[in-house]
Amino acid sequence: MENVNEEVGAQIINKPFEFTGKAGEFFAIWIVNVALTILTLGIYSAWAKVRTNQYFYGNTLLDGTSFRYTANPKQILKGRIIAFVVFMLYFAASSVSPIFGAGAFFVLMLLVPAFLVMSMAFRLKNSVYRNVRFNFNKDFSGVYKIFAIPVVVMSAYIFVVSQFQESIASGAEAKPEFPVFVFVLLGLIALMAPWWEYMITNFRVKHAKYGDAGFSFSATTKNYYWLYIKLVLVLIAFSALIGLSVAGISALFKPETADPSEMMKYMPILMVVIIVPFYLWLFAYMATKRTNLLYNNIDIAGHKTQSELKTGYMMYLYFTNTLGMLLTLGLLMPWAKIRTARYRASVTSVNVAGDLSQFVVVQTDKQSALGEEMGEMFDMDLGF
Amino acid sequence: MIKGSYFNGETSDKKDVSLFYKEDGLVGFNELDVDDVSFNEINISSRLGNTPRYLNFPDGSQFETLDNIAIDEMVEKLANDPLHGLAHKLESAKSFVLFTVVAVILFGWLFVQYGIPAFSKQIAELLPEEASQYMGQGVLDAMDKGFFSESKLTEKRQNELTSLFNSLLKNIESSKNYQLKFRLGGKIKANAFALPDGTIVFTDELINLAENDLEIASIMLHEIGHLKNHHSLRATIQQFSLAMFVMVITGDVSTSSSIITAIPVMLVESGFSQGMETEADTYSLEYMQKQKIDPNYFAIMMEKLEASYSVEYMSCMDSISGKENVRLKRIKCINDAVKLSKAESNEGDKSTMDYFSTHPSSKERIDRFKLK
Repeated sequence: MENVNEEVGAQIINKPFEFTGKAGEFFAIWIVNVALTILTLGIYSAWAKVRTNQYFYGNTLLDGTSFRYTANPKQILKGRIIAFVVFMLYFAASSVSPIFGAGAFFVLMLLVPAFLVMSMAFRLKNSVYRNVRFNFNKDFSGVYKIFAIPVVVMSAYIFVVSQFQESIASGAEAKPEFPVFVFVLLGLIALMAPWWEYMITNFRVKHAKYGDAGFSFSATTKNYYWLYIKLVLVLIAFSALIGLSVAGISALFKPETADPSEMMKYMPILMVVIIVPFYLWLFAYMATKRTNLLYNNIDIAGHKTQSELKTGYMMYLYFTNTLGMLLTLGLLMPWAKIRTARYRASVTSVNVAGDLSQFVVVQTDKQSALGEEMGEMFDMDLGF
Repeated sequence: MIKGSYFNGETSDKKDVSLFYKEDGLVGFNELDVDDVSFNEINISSRLGNTPRYLNFPDGSQFETLDNIAIDEMVEKLANDPLHGLAHKLESAKSFVLFTVVAVILFGWLFVQYGIPAFSKQIAELLPEEASQYMGQGVLDAMDKGFFSESKLTEKRQNELTSLFNSLLKNIESSKNYQLKFRLGGKIKANAFALPDGTIVFTDELINLAENDLEIASIMLHEIGHLKNHHSLRATIQQFSLAMFVMVITGDVSTSSSIITAIPVMLVESGFSQGMETEADTYSLEYMQKQKIDPNYFAIMMEKLEASYSVEYMSCMDSISGKENVRLKRIKCINDAVKLSKAESNEGDKSTMDYFSTHPSSKERIDRFKLK
């Protein structure tokens, strides 16, 4: 059924996303959410989360129809309570004894892949467009397979480093092979990062469904390696720039004063002028390129998504958002969220093959909100 | 007549339709060949700003419309549910929203400024002594591994200081588990720590700054002040409550960048910590006044501590050679460094970075002891 359009060579029409949310309107919703959350000692936060998501989904339109978020607040509340209890236990454990804390942390880390899958399933199964639900295939063994190799390498690295430190601390003659091990493992981790990011993104996309139609992902590992290679090149150029400016500043002061504390006074200026823009760029670059790479390679039954985020504009948004929120102690947060969503929608579109009417509804079971709430409690980035 | 889109519940097919309803509560569509449905069987989404409304029918079909006003009218006519749309009524009442803004800011400020410190203090005092002792375990071990090495002070000197410490404790109730330890600070330089289990650690570098042992006594009293006020336990409880508070407030926005919450949290935590330092200073000051010890010793020591981090002091210390009169040379180094930093800091006023610092500015602290 899905291929019919392609066979008859249906016309491809580019349909843009639209975002119709208003900062003032969302501000009112947000502040009432905060107030009710405080009044109910946090219980309302589940309803607040649902209303916030519903506001953003409902204001996101594609082809004149809105998206809909259907999560049940009571379910989210249940997930939050469990996550809260676990968080309390973890906090108590780690303040009583670092070893307990480390043990609890280790167990939680083992569960991260499962939370990731549960979180994706919860979010997608509660996303509806044109009365058809999105869906996510909960492939637990698949996600643990993807996590296995990086975890082994990381553990090896941590083990070697701790052994290395111990041997230095105990004063024994440092074994010359330790630095080599550390170096090799670090290199391995760096070389693996783009591949791993591809694997995890691929996993998330390929297990997603809209109705009965699966998502396919056409990006390759090569794309992800390029993303990181460009990043490394900029990092090198940036380090050179820092080196030059530090050298320049010290050259300015050397002859007469030779006073390092005098020189240090100029360091904060250097920080603001070079390091802050660099951080902004780093975040904006990664966020932009990742998102573009993701959405430019998704194909749902012949319909292709498209994203044209610009790093420069994202930098501007991050900078003005952060500044605005700092100056108003967070009161401008609704404004920041709205304008970011508006920009994102304005550069995202779908190349629709024919029309969007052929997706078939599939009945799905209820999903637990636990994974998503655990992720939020421990500040894991589970966003899609 | 309400215009909108109809989705049949089987596919994503969309039809433009108009919905009608009758006085008796039957709802149907003009353009469609489907049976009318009783209003009570329809699930209507609650209003949220001007986002579309969704009407879900028992057969799985859905009607979506932007005509919020017409839907509100229909709900009012056909349903007797006063709670329907309550959240929207609150969100769209301008005066209520304004009131909420003021209330939230006021509450947030009061809670963070007074609420959290007060109840952490209460809880810390309620918890048994063992709670703190349990917390301290492993801290010194970790610091020994990471930073400290064995003290280079002679045994005689250590004994002198320990008996000074014990003589201070004589006037302090329930202080039997307090004990003094010495370590070579290394990277940590001149510093002293109070661990929750009652251990107070002094670095050799700090001991070496003092000309008179009463200077060291004043710092000992400051550290005892931390212990007496259960500061480690309170800091832990405060950090936890602050984290929970931030999470409750921003719970629905955790996807926004965390720097936004990180900076206020840093500010508040350094404020808490500054408050505790001031409390410990107060303890030291009051003890000294009661026992007729000149509070100036604390002021002198603070000036020395501040100067001991300067480049001049460190290069002066590095240049000490030979074995004779090391003590005198050290004292000269620190006194020179103090003079230099005093000359420099004449123009010094409270800089922005002070708000992020865990300790109040040294000048403020020194002045408190000098005036007495």
